[in-house]
Amino acid sequence: MYGWIWRHLPGNAWVKAFISLVLVLAVVFVLFQYVFPWAEPMLPFNDVTVDRGMAAVR
Amino acid sequence: MTATGYDEDTDRSPSPAPRRARGIIASVVSVIGELLITAGVILALFVAYSLWWTNVLADREANKQGDQVRKHWATSGPKGPGALDTKDGIGFLHVPAMSGGEMLVKKGTDSEILNEGVAGYYTEPVKSGLPQDKKGNFTLAAHRDGHGAKFHNIDKLKDGDPIVFESKDTWYIYKVYATLEETSKYNVDVLDAVPKESGKRQAGRYITLTTCTPVYTSNYRYIVWGELERTEKVDADRTRPKELR
Repeated sequence: MYGWIWRHLPGNAWVKAFISLVLVLAVVFVLFQYVFPWAEPMLPFNDVTVDRGMAAVR
Repeated sequence: MTATGYDEDTDRSPSPAPRRARGIIASVVSVIGELLITAGVILALFVAYSLWWTNVLADREANKQGDQVRKHWATSGPKGPGALDTKDGIGFLHVPAMSGGEMLVKKGTDSEILNEGVAGYYTEPVKSGLPQDKKGNFTLAAHRDGHGAKFHNIDKLKDGDPIVFESKDTWYIYKVYATLEETSKYNVDVLDAVPKESGKRQAGRYITLTTCTPVYTSNYRYIVWGELERTEKVDADRTRPKELR
């Protein structure tokens, strides 16, 4: 998979490495900006209030 | 993993059919392996996001809003409108034992509010009292980890430690008198105006801090109760009460 991407990037090894770095940073940005904020409320790690159970919407 | 790797390998195979089958299996296995590694990296990034990046964002947001509240206090007159402005935040909580500096207190405990790195006072399931009320329980929630982690050190609070709430014109000095180190997340009785589980039977001016426990999870809730000891008028220099000096 990553080998395939590497072979299909243009340029020499340095250019490929640079493009790879940009791609990695772009993926991390999308994860931090959109994916994680979306996923976090669905995961049971950060509820801090007491409530009446599933019926009560916080 | 590279194509040349198994090309050389399969050249020694006797016939083309098994060679192709082995090539397909090898690429399938290598793709699965890469996906697993990717999943691991994403989970590690998620941990970094939850425990570090959300703190950065929340602290930035809370500082901005806190500055706004202070500016608002400074510009509006001593008894003018805005003595209690619930939109921007009603004041600041200072807990020396938690050593996290001041935290802004806002109305509501929805995650959108708490994620701004503030402490929120309950509006439901049990409506919180406010510090200036004659009787009542001022009930607050904040994050233990991530999003500012304002109540991270709640376990450092011991009986007798001060919890100070700063409003525009008054310092409210509470003293911790009871803690509940682990309770069900459905235990809403801890928020009652007279929190019986803390041992109190009579109406008074109480404060209740709630957050999740153990750290990094939210299986249970950690509760700290305090009772108002005294109030002090805020002077022109906003001199801090002796508990905060």
